Amino acid sequence: MSIHRYFDRFGGAYVAEVLRRPLEELDEAFAAAMADRAFLAELDTLRADFIGRPTPLLHAANASRENGGAQIYIKMEGLAHTGAHKINNAIAQALLAKRMGKTRIIAETGAGQHGLATASACARLGLECTVYMGEVDVRRQQPNVAAMELYGATVVPVLSGSRTLKDAINEAMRDWAASFADTHYLIGSALGPAPFPDMVRTFQSVIGLETEAQAAEKGLKIDALVACVGGGSNAIGFFSPFIDRASPRLIGAEAGGVGPATGENAVRMTGTAASDGIIHGYKSRFLVDSDGQVAETRSISAGLDYPGIGPQLAALGESGRIEFTGISDSDALDAVKFFARTEGVIFALESAHAGAAALAEAGKLPKDAVVIVNMSGRGDKDIFITSPVFRPVQWRDFLKAELERLESGMDIHVFGGKK
Amino acid sequence: MTKVPVMAHLVAGYTSPEISLEAARGLAAGGVSYFEVQFPFSDPSADGKAIQTACAAVLSGGWRVDDGFAFVETLRSEFPGIPVFVMTYANLAYKIGISAFVERSFRSGVSGLIIPDLPFDADEGLAAACDAKGIACVPVAAPSMTESRIASLAALRRPYVYAALRSGITGSSTSIDDGTLAFLSSLKASESRILGGFGIRSGDQSGALAPAVHAVVAGSVFVDIIREKSGEGGEAVRLAVQAKAAELSNPVQR
Repeated sequence: MSIHRYFDRFGGAYVAEVLRRPLEELDEAFAAAMADRAFLAELDTLRADFIGRPTPLLHAANASRENGGAQIYIKMEGLAHTGAHKINNAIAQALLAKRMGKTRIIAETGAGQHGLATASACARLGLECTVYMGEVDVRRQQPNVAAMELYGATVVPVLSGSRTLKDAINEAMRDWAASFADTHYLIGSALGPAPFPDMVRTFQSVIGLETEAQAAEKGLKIDALVACVGGGSNAIGFFSPFIDRASPRLIGAEAGGVGPATGENAVRMTGTAASDGIIHGYKSRFLVDSDGQVAETRSISAGLDYPGIGPQLAALGESGRIEFTGISDSDALDAVKFFARTEGVIFALESAHAGAAALAEAGKLPKDAVVIVNMSGRGDKDIFITSPVFRPVQWRDFLKAELERLESGMDIHVFGGKK
Repeated sequence: MTKVPVMAHLVAGYTSPEISLEAARGLAAGGVSYFEVQFPFSDPSADGKAIQTACAAVLSGGWRVDDGFAFVETLRSEFPGIPVFVMTYANLAYKIGISAFVERSFRSGVSGLIIPDLPFDADEGLAAACDAKGIACVPVAAPSMTESRIASLAALRRPYVYAALRSGITGSSTSIDDGTLAFLSSLKASESRILGGFGIRSGDQSGALAPAVHAVVAGSVFVDIIREKSGEGGEAVRLAVQAKAAELSNPVQR
């Protein structure tokens, strides 16, 4: 079986020969598993009982009224176990790895949601787990790091390069090159060499399939679907059932960061900074300099600052099927506040980019139109980033007090001081 | 024992343009037969820690691909008898266009190109462009390849094949066992000259490997020496590199 698979001119398997064999094995195992009713039944059980699927489709009636346009619905993917859509892929790939006889899983993570999902899936299925995470992301996503360790995973801070997701990917690829006999590399986004983009889309398509069924149940005619796009696993899964149809409109929100200049954002499909490239084993659009070196990116969201984009999304963006828009850090923060206040729902910073794009889009449409935004994850994990912005004084006082308490040797579990 | 042909790997510009030239002088004086010059890439996912760290250091100093070709040209003029192969990653060639990159390599006097993430059956036209210019396109082979894939590679009859001698990435130690030799002998059907490496650090290893390959490749061992000695200046680097190159090229017979 050939693993060279493309989406128009993007995709493929551009890997050093040493990684060829594990990709071929994975390709064969994935195809066999998807044709195996027992595997699919076990996956369905895990989806229902472990992940908690289906996730709800919430009518954001208050947000829609205040925004003054189309009816906004929220696909509550953040209610999935571990707090984000990443678990759909993680549990499925971990189950596949176990079926292949692997005993160890490695993963890379940016925001930590994929690492968290993988660590949880490994705990559930009895697999050893190592998660590579850029040192910068380790710092800004501490709640997820703590949870991964609680699940028994080893979190390895990556100190090379920009110390973010892309560097974690390099490190995981190195590990896999030496360990694939007993180890599966559980890639968290719909990117990397084939068959990963197809596999991740397949496992994430449960989001879109559920959304379609839930919309039909509610009698909704969907005008637009909106999702955030880093690597793009939530977006491709959400859009997947609709890709080959003319409608609804599909809108991808990229990280606009703090400005349009190179290095200030992570937009690959709008603007002029990105170009075709071959990096991390696949061909797609990447933010690179004039020599082809990977450029620095910036986003308040640790999940959206990857310099590349999944190859199928790149192809669908170029064909015009998916429309892309860049959302700034500050608009994403505003969207977090808006949905929290109007709906009692805290979007993850990643998902808030989609939330902001959905508000903008819905504002241009009549009241009887329907826009569904995928809340790919919930924002609990972002409290260390959002609190210093939303309530800086209180947050500073809290951290100071906690540090003093810790340093003074007080028992922090007892209110008011030492036992 | 007769002299072992050694292909010595150098990261262009590491730790500085001057030091990397002094290292090359040491390699030449130590008797190496080929230079393998790595053009640093921001995401060298097939390299180990020593080379990755070296590449990052070079790039943080503002290194450009133009500097890499200038280094090659210097090596060609100072050591006309030592062929220079360039090793890098797909995106540096892809960015300016595969043909343009090959053309540029040709003008700089490059003898061969090793780009591990452009596998031989998805090489974006690299082999064809190299053939047109008389440059060797060097595919990489690994022990995990299936027999049929090795046969497909052999059928291409490329002038050289780069044999990675173990699973994993560069920089750690490699033992030359029966499995290694069996893999190398299966590649011999290609009638290509085999450049065998990954983790070669001692004369014992190069001596054991020599009968099974056209040349022994060594990389991280030199990068480590350059890193350790660069603080002491160019001469210290040159002498230390020379000693290691001589050890690998002239293993003591046991």
